Amino acid sequence: MGTNRLVGDKLVISLAYCLIGLFALVCLYPLILTLSVSFSAEQEVTRNGYSILPQSPTIDTYKYIFVNSGAKILKSYGVTIFITVVGTISALLITSMISFAISIKKLRYRNIIAFISNFTIIFSAGLIPWYMVSVNYYGLKNSILALIIPSVFSVWNMFLMRTFFASISPSMYEAAEIDGANYFTIYVKIALPLSKTALLTVGLMYALNYWNDWWNALIFINEKDLFPLQYYLYSILSNVNAISSGRIPTGASGSITLPAETVKMAVTVITIGPIIFLYPYIQKYFVHGIMAGAIKE
Amino acid sequence: MSSAVKGFLSEIMKNRLLYLMCLPALIVLLMFSYIPFAGIWMAFTDFNVVDGIFGSKFVGLDNFKYFFSNSMGWKVIYNTLYINFFGIILGIIVPVGIAILLNEIRHDSYKRVAQSMMFFPYFISWVVVGAILYGIFSTDVGVANNILKFFGAEPISWYSEPKYWKWIIILASVWKWSGYSSIIYMAAMANFDGSLYESAKVDGANKLQSIFYLTIPMLKPTIIVLTLLSVGRIFYGDFGMIYGIVGNNPVLADEVTVIDTYVYASMRSLGFSYSTAIGLFQSVMGLILITAANKSAKKMNDGEGLF
Repeated sequence: MGTNRLVGDKLVISLAYCLIGLFALVCLYPLILTLSVSFSAEQEVTRNGYSILPQSPTIDTYKYIFVNSGAKILKSYGVTIFITVVGTISALLITSMISFAISIKKLRYRNIIAFISNFTIIFSAGLIPWYMVSVNYYGLKNSILALIIPSVFSVWNMFLMRTFFASISPSMYEAAEIDGANYFTIYVKIALPLSKTALLTVGLMYALNYWNDWWNALIFINEKDLFPLQYYLYSILSNVNAISSGRIPTGASGSITLPAETVKMAVTVITIGPIIFLYPYIQKYFVHGIMAGAIKE
Repeated sequence: MSSAVKGFLSEIMKNRLLYLMCLPALIVLLMFSYIPFAGIWMAFTDFNVVDGIFGSKFVGLDNFKYFFSNSMGWKVIYNTLYINFFGIILGIIVPVGIAILLNEIRHDSYKRVAQSMMFFPYFISWVVVGAILYGIFSTDVGVANNILKFFGAEPISWYSEPKYWKWIIILASVWKWSGYSSIIYMAAMANFDGSLYESAKVDGANKLQSIFYLTIPMLKPTIIVLTLLSVGRIFYGDFGMIYGIVGNNPVLADEVTVIDTYVYASMRSLGFSYSTAIGLFQSVMGLILITAANKSAKKMNDGEGLF
């Protein structure tokens, strides 16, 4: 009986090692595949198909991209970096201010404000009315602001930050209040410095959202100069789809050489961009954020 | 002036700085969530640009009737529910499984590396996922067909075979979210009482028994809350996921068009009124289901709701 149990337990544990390892590989495999194809020679890829190891390793594809569409890609990189930096800073400011305010217990209408925010999660007017007012009244069509303002405030992130602010002891504020500090000073001088991890967590969440956004561009942007990186990749891929599904006459596509396999994957790598290097270091903040969000007050 | 208004104004004046700090966020909500509510009226009219939202002809429920009387309407509802239903089921089983198995791993470095590999898909956009899936399912060079050829099977022209794509999308969403969701379950498991496992062991329970009789029952509240949250959103498709993976590929559209992508597509072809009506139908279903989910969460979790 005892040995049976030990054998069974060993089996469970080795199964855990195998399955976890397997799933982890499945999760990272596409990244390696993409990287390896982007560093392969085009003829080899067309002949043998995609493979996990680079075929005749070369950086020709990247050179080709920067000679042929370097200006376009750099412009899109510029757009993405701009909206990520400006968007994240504005979002952090807006979100931390309201989260701080509604974390103060003596603010009588704080629950009403929380409800007003919450209601937007559970009921919305839908895409079309949202699009109508954005285009007709706010003039967001083909404006860089269209890539920033609609995502500048997330109610989820507000509740996440409120949880952090609520964990600061009110006695910290009371002392400052007696010294005559107003709540904005308390927010800047006490609450923010005590919430650096929270700010980093929420800031990274906003930044990732801005970096990966292409929905706003799909809806609002026609002008190529304002394409963020993700949308640039999307437009390349949908061209490929269109041509390979035969919707564009071959005569027209004959003059433009289709983006080669290696080019597609290289642009994908460029689009993932800094996330490839940064994600191992920043993931702990996301874990932190997820856990804080999962724990309800 | 009534005393209620006076009380309101004096509270606002007293804490004006704090209310002022709420203002930017409230303005964003007003602009992008509350003002659009006025546009819901379009759903009950035959909207045209010249007469505007409130000048266009009132048609009652005609737009809704049209949605439910054409086969595409039921088709997109079916697609949305199908993809979400299996997404929810696998979205429980896989992350819970991962969390339980990760807990059995003794080597911290193995655990850490595996966990961060599994978290990777969370960080990339659906467009990038679409590019990756192209690498796997492309007819001539894709990995899937290479494998089929290796085993001597006929290659499949994936991008012109709609029948596979519901499941490709479901599996892609499980792939993208499992690492993320497993973190929530790991967080719940970290709070479990270790002594329970000790005494189970003393009583002769093996690992499988303690997983099935201790871990899973203790995870139940977390599973229920997360499931109810997803059930509340079962009428919402993931626009980015569908469009990022299949784009507007007309061959696949029939099988994978969900309510959200249908609203977007019909905005151009069938007009603003019709697509507003579908969006409204979706929002109302969402409101009903989320409220119901919240009620049942309260019932099951001793008065603790979802929000």
